Amino acid sequence: MTAFFAIDNLVVTTANKTLLSDISFAMTKGDYLCVIGPNGAGKSTLLKTIMSIVPLSSGSIKLNQTPLSQLKQKALAQHISYVPQAHGHALFFNVNEFIKMGRYPYHSALSDWSQNDQQAFDRAVEITASTPFLERQIHTLSGGEIQRVMIAAALCQQTPLLLLDEPTSFLDPHHQVEVHNLIRELNQQHNISVIEVSHDLNHACQHSQHILALKQGKTLWYGNSTEFINTQQLHQLYDQQFVFATHPQTGAKVALTSEFK
Amino acid sequence: MTAKSVLITITIISLFTLGVSPYIGQIHFDNSELYTQILTQIRLPRVLLAFIVGAGLAVCGMVFQAMFHNPLATPFTLGVASGASLGAASYVFLGLSFSVLGIDGSSLAAFSGALVAISIVFAISRFRSGFSPETLLLSGVAINFFFSSLILFIQYLSNISDSFRIIRWLMGSINVVGYRDIVQLIPFVSVCIVTILWLRRELNLLMAGDDIALSRGVAVKQVRYLLFFVTSLCVGAIVALCGPIGFIGMMVPHICRLLIGSDHRWLTPATLLFGGSFLIVCDTLARTIIAPAEIPVGVITTLLGGPFFLWLLVKSRLNAA
Repeated sequence: MTAFFAIDNLVVTTANKTLLSDISFAMTKGDYLCVIGPNGAGKSTLLKTIMSIVPLSSGSIKLNQTPLSQLKQKALAQHISYVPQAHGHALFFNVNEFIKMGRYPYHSALSDWSQNDQQAFDRAVEITASTPFLERQIHTLSGGEIQRVMIAAALCQQTPLLLLDEPTSFLDPHHQVEVHNLIRELNQQHNISVIEVSHDLNHACQHSQHILALKQGKTLWYGNSTEFINTQQLHQLYDQQFVFATHPQTGAKVALTSEFK
Repeated sequence: MTAKSVLITITIISLFTLGVSPYIGQIHFDNSELYTQILTQIRLPRVLLAFIVGAGLAVCGMVFQAMFHNPLATPFTLGVASGASLGAASYVFLGLSFSVLGIDGSSLAAFSGALVAISIVFAISRFRSGFSPETLLLSGVAINFFFSSLILFIQYLSNISDSFRIIRWLMGSINVVGYRDIVQLIPFVSVCIVTILWLRRELNLLMAGDDIALSRGVAVKQVRYLLFFVTSLCVGAIVALCGPIGFIGMMVPHICRLLIGSDHRWLTPATLLFGGSFLIVCDTLARTIIAPAEIPVGVITTLLGGPFFLWLLVKSRLNAA
């Protein structure tokens, strides 16, 4: 079976630093990959390189056998969408207008809002349950609501692959679960392939299909999520001892940080 | 109020300003030949020029604010206007007099100066990818100082009449007789405005941040180069003709954003109309306050703009804290 999305020997360097090197993996359609690793491991850089926000130095990224470097930015945005990390500066946009801006890749300067656009918009709003705050300004929303709006805008692009950069950081447990459920719904019911950068180890192990563990810009481990928690790599990845317990409801093995050195 | 009704209100006010201001002034209405002459050959072109210049400067300011995500970033605060001034002052000093394809040489000199300044700003903003708005503004201050001292140097070397010309021109004024200068200016300003209207959706996305713009499919680099080019063209042409008229590009778009929101589909026409009528009002004040003498309009806009700049600065500091 040919890969839907494949990265081969990816290297990203800036003037004086190697940010990523020797990254290779392949995804089938409908796959859910979590990228984990300590701060500064290059997780966000990986997503930005895929989205061509950061240029790659060597290696290749292919979507359906086509190298992304051959695509114009607009064409790329029809295939891959991206939800960046929650950023500091306030967005002074009406939610409605901001989500609609997700249709940009399908428009030229003179084209009108079409039936297709409206359908994509309605669907994105419905899935993310954004209707109640559609007429509000983004900077007045709560963290959980902003994340739903950002995901809705990305969904408006109707791409088969969705990249998410720490979508649940800064959210309380309730909203974390809500966003996690939303991502799983997109993946399982709408067959959208997902690459998610996460700091939530247990979420990654239980909900994703594959895990890519990065450390200092290199692949430390790649494989099926269910196998990851059993490996010795966990300690090596975070320089931290873990103990393990069984989730009383699901029976899944969960990792907890050790209280002792 | 909806964006549409705000825009309609601004349009009505602008039309009113355009219609009424030529009739305001020292000489009052009668049907004499002289009066008609003053109206059609002096006041009307002056009002039209003020409108075009105000609209152009305001829209260029709006683009800079959107691109740098900062209400204090404008062609003037970042040194682009000083670059243009230096270009035009050099043209006067070197005693040049030429035109290319009917375009006056001073416009081209100012345009080149603007492009040099904008390239410096751009290089600084690229130099460190994580540059802060403060760094950008400080480098703008440095560029302003640098070009200003070069202009002073040119003035020092010039003869008395050139030097006087340069000083008067640096104060910024809308002073034309007849329509020749307006016809010269229109192509530059309209190319700039049409491009900006064309790129309204890209501007919206740029304002949301480069990452978001790229992920929605905006070719950020190309769009940015194009916008830098057309705004340099516009600011250069305006500065060559009227001198640097400061702060319009900062005040007007900011006020319009408060009135109509950040969506450039509405913001651009609102800024254009408001900027035009704002400069007409300032210029009408400039030529009537101490009539029969005149104040350079740049003095008025700067007197209004200085405190406005400080207010914005304090406000953004308070918000950040």
